[in-house]
Amino acid sequence: MPVGEKHGFLARTLIYVVLIAGAALSAYPFYWMLVIATRTRDAVYEMPPAILPGPELIANMSHALERIIFFRALWNSAVVSASTTASVLFFCSLAGYAFAKFDFPGKKWLFLLVLGTLLVPQQLSVLPNYILMSKLSWIDSYKAIIVPGMVSAFGIFWMRQYIGASIHQELIEASRIDGCGYFYTFVRIVLPIIVPALATLGIFTFLNTWNDFFWPLVVLKNNENFTIQIALQQLFSRNDSIDYGMIMAATFFATLPLLVVFALFSRWFISGLTSGAVKS
Amino acid sequence: MSLFKKWGAAGAALLLAASVTACSGGGAPASAPAKNGGDAKPGTTTDKPADKPTDKPVELVFWSLGTNGYEKLAEEYKTVKPNVTIKIQNTADQTAHHNNMMTALTAGKGAPDIFMLEIAFLEKFLEAKDKFNNLNELGADKIKGNYLDWKWKQASSPDGKFQLGLPTDVGPTVVYYRTDLIEKAGLPSKPDDFGKEIATWAKFAETANKYKEKTGKPFVDMPDLVFNGVRDQGNEIYYNDKDEFIGDKNAQVKKAYDFTVKGIKEGWVGKNQLWTPEWAKDTNDGGFAVMLAPAWMNGVIKGNAKDTSGKWMITQMPEGAGNWGGSFLTIPKESKNAKEAYEFISWLVGKESQLKSYVSNGLMPSIPAVYDDPKFKELKDQFFADQAISVEFAKATKSVKPIRYGKLHDATDAIVKESLRNVQLKGADPQAEWDNAIKKIKELNKRS
Amino acid sequence: MMNAGVSASPAAVPARPWLTERRRSRIAAYLFISPFFILFAVFGVYPIFFTFYLSMYKWNGLGDMKFVGLKNFELVLTDPTFWTSFFNTFLMGGMGTIPQLILALILAVALNSAFIRGTKFLRAVYFLPNITSIVAVTIIFSGIFANKGIANYVVSLVGLGPYAWTVQYWPVKIAVAIMVIWRWTGYNAIIFLAGLQSIPGDLYEAARIDGANRRQLFLHITVPLLKPFILFTTLISTIGSMQLFTEPYVFLSQGGTGSTREEGVTMVIYLYSEAFKNSFFGTAAATAVILFVFTIMFSLLNTWVSRRMGGEA
Repeated sequence: MPVGEKHGFLARTLIYVVLIAGAALSAYPFYWMLVIATRTRDAVYEMPPAILPGPELIANMSHALERIIFFRALWNSAVVSASTTASVLFFCSLAGYAFAKFDFPGKKWLFLLVLGTLLVPQQLSVLPNYILMSKLSWIDSYKAIIVPGMVSAFGIFWMRQYIGASIHQELIEASRIDGCGYFYTFVRIVLPIIVPALATLGIFTFLNTWNDFFWPLVVLKNNENFTIQIALQQLFSRNDSIDYGMIMAATFFATLPLLVVFALFSRWFISGLTSGAVKS
Repeated sequence: MSLFKKWGAAGAALLLAASVTACSGGGAPASAPAKNGGDAKPGTTTDKPADKPTDKPVELVFWSLGTNGYEKLAEEYKTVKPNVTIKIQNTADQTAHHNNMMTALTAGKGAPDIFMLEIAFLEKFLEAKDKFNNLNELGADKIKGNYLDWKWKQASSPDGKFQLGLPTDVGPTVVYYRTDLIEKAGLPSKPDDFGKEIATWAKFAETANKYKEKTGKPFVDMPDLVFNGVRDQGNEIYYNDKDEFIGDKNAQVKKAYDFTVKGIKEGWVGKNQLWTPEWAKDTNDGGFAVMLAPAWMNGVIKGNAKDTSGKWMITQMPEGAGNWGGSFLTIPKESKNAKEAYEFISWLVGKESQLKSYVSNGLMPSIPAVYDDPKFKELKDQFFADQAISVEFAKATKSVKPIRYGKLHDATDAIVKESLRNVQLKGADPQAEWDNAIKKIKELNKRS
Repeated sequence: MMNAGVSASPAAVPARPWLTERRRSRIAAYLFISPFFILFAVFGVYPIFFTFYLSMYKWNGLGDMKFVGLKNFELVLTDPTFWTSFFNTFLMGGMGTIPQLILALILAVALNSAFIRGTKFLRAVYFLPNITSIVAVTIIFSGIFANKGIANYVVSLVGLGPYAWTVQYWPVKIAVAIMVIWRWTGYNAIIFLAGLQSIPGDLYEAARIDGANRRQLFLHITVPLLKPFILFTTLISTIGSMQLFTEPYVFLSQGGTGSTREEGVTMVIYLYSEAFKNSFFGTAAATAVILFVFTIMFSLLNTWVSRRMGGEA
């Protein structure tokens, strides 16, 4: 990078090139999905690949709607993802706050334990957890998906890093001197500062829950309770050739809500939120 | 720490919880959210499938696999048995479908009344037959004679006393071929003539070479299907009746391997992989002329090769057909309505229903009596140049032998196919690849 | 359970001398972290114990369990395929993780440059790979890496290839690494961006007034303050790459049988196929235990190295 007092022309151009190339590479497959979703089923096999969207989106989508309970599945996914996200944000920020700003016996070990849980491959806990769920009679209910994901190790780790980096001890002490309880200090002082981190974690959690496939497949039995990912899987079948147009149309509409959620949360990534706070 | 202190601490903690939630200055009360944090009310919708109503109706939960048209038939069953409702949960993904069942059986909860079981996964479940109803006790032994013998035996215990499932469809293999491409290469294209041209594997290879010289293109689409074609003509494949590995000694497997390698070396085997978009495109563009595949593949070809309608036909396999795929309907022990479930499935795989599933979804019936039904025989298919393909499929079922796959068949087969792919795409040495495959398979068998 | 239903009554705690400020803060801290540990005890500890227990048994998931001691570990550790999966995991992990983090950092810094408009839009675009369904991703990449696909066309321009991307040793790994980089770069860029935005702007101002140039700003303010985030992503990506599953699985299982191909099998794919393809739950559990140990060792090493590089005592 050239060194300059202000951004020089070269630096600017370079940054633009990097950003635009990255955007093109990131967006292309997604765009391609849209192209396929709006064309007939044979478009996937065309070489060179089709460039522009076609007119078949509605037709493809109505095929999909005949095969799966699409909107019901969207609703299920929305409920499960939203509740999990709300719960994760609350509990993880609290726990992250405790790990970042409190001293208590066993802190280091407990935190290592939290990290340790990240090391367990998810694929293996499916079986024991399924047995557990069936003992609780939670099979085929939202609970089976929401409860295990209410707090995440990833979230605690993330919040600890962020709170550690952005909240100064003086702020907390000042609030305590004002006679505030720990929890209220958290609500009044910590929460406003960590909004960007909450937004990030919120997006990640929402997306992860939304896109999770393994676990819901195991615990949901009834197609009225299916999340969208499992409903989409229903569109694949072996004994007739795969209609990619239909699958991509459904996939595209299943992804739209995520874009909306992302756009909404993006507002909260605003920088400079901490500038009003006391600086050391 | 004394007990008193412990309790004291706990009590203090509780009281403290009250005090940490607000400033002493009297801030806004922030009551902690309930455990189900979030705005949803989990479990309010459907915690369990609907409870049984009080009068006599019975609901049967049926996990079905793939596209089979059973939804329609289940509706129709209402006219046969008005009090029985069939609730179908269809899964398209085979592996997921069977894993789901495995998990349910392991947990001892959540299994359906009826489970559709694919042949590739059958042996695993046959091992756990104590978790399923013996259908012979429900009357299956009385209808055994209606079905193809080899198909029936696939789901019986070796002594024949236990019947795990009733047969749905079968997948006898045939030769699908492009008449126009065959003609262009100067070969006879009528089913009978073309059939003679490739009546043995030796002649098949000769014809393939001729085709390749004329057109410069591969004769068949991929190694896997050639290998299957030869492999499935023996009485056993990789495992014997006792589920011991015999693949290294079974001449038929080696024959299949060597023949496929020959095809690869001579260049008349294409480089495709099953189910890929590339393969579909190749099917449509005439990238090859012949596909050795089961009856149900006709739907796949129609979907993949839209532009070639009327240019495909079917003839018999060289030296006899094999079988790929097909399912069984089973009734887990967990079902509280085994009798009603059995009544339903025996109706669903009866002559009438099987004919209907063939017409609607191309599921090849497993009841030979259907093959003589005019409705079945006279079905002409435009895509296949108005050939009565059902008759060819029926002919193919006659030469299929009852083969025991063994529960590691799939994993074993994948290893061998991987070797073939290495020979084709990496130019690896066939013998070294074979030895390596056998070594890996033995490693696999140490665990079972 | 949380301190549910406790209303904020002004009935203050009787000020007992026992309840010092220090104790209070400790109790508050324990309360704050308790939800995780309660859930963890139920849904985390139990599966781990079950896994350890299962690794000593031979079990097909349906029949009876048979105690075999350490035999499963022996079977796994003497299986060449397992070691292949071990090396693959590290190779593909390294090939996927390192470029991904560097790219993510570059993107985040570029995005954070105040002079560029439309960063909100770009941010969303970079995030697209992570929300594009895996189904779409599979189809797209199998097209790109097909025999007559774009990838072979591109390498032919340089006079190389064509490669069999789903079969050959390096091409498989490169293809998977590209998939990983493509899917996760934007995700990590978002994390870095959040980190960059937690750095107060007036720090830069102050440094600028002191006459620091942009490179100094970057090296002396951005990097040190971003360290917690770099540590975070490195650790998460490392753990993620140890558990690499989805990308190679979908990329190589196109043909129905290829997901355990030697060139692309990872430890979790190995574990998965042991359990769900072959129903060897005992060896699958043993694999999980081994993977668990490796991951811990690797993470510790990772932390140690980054500490050393960070120059902290």
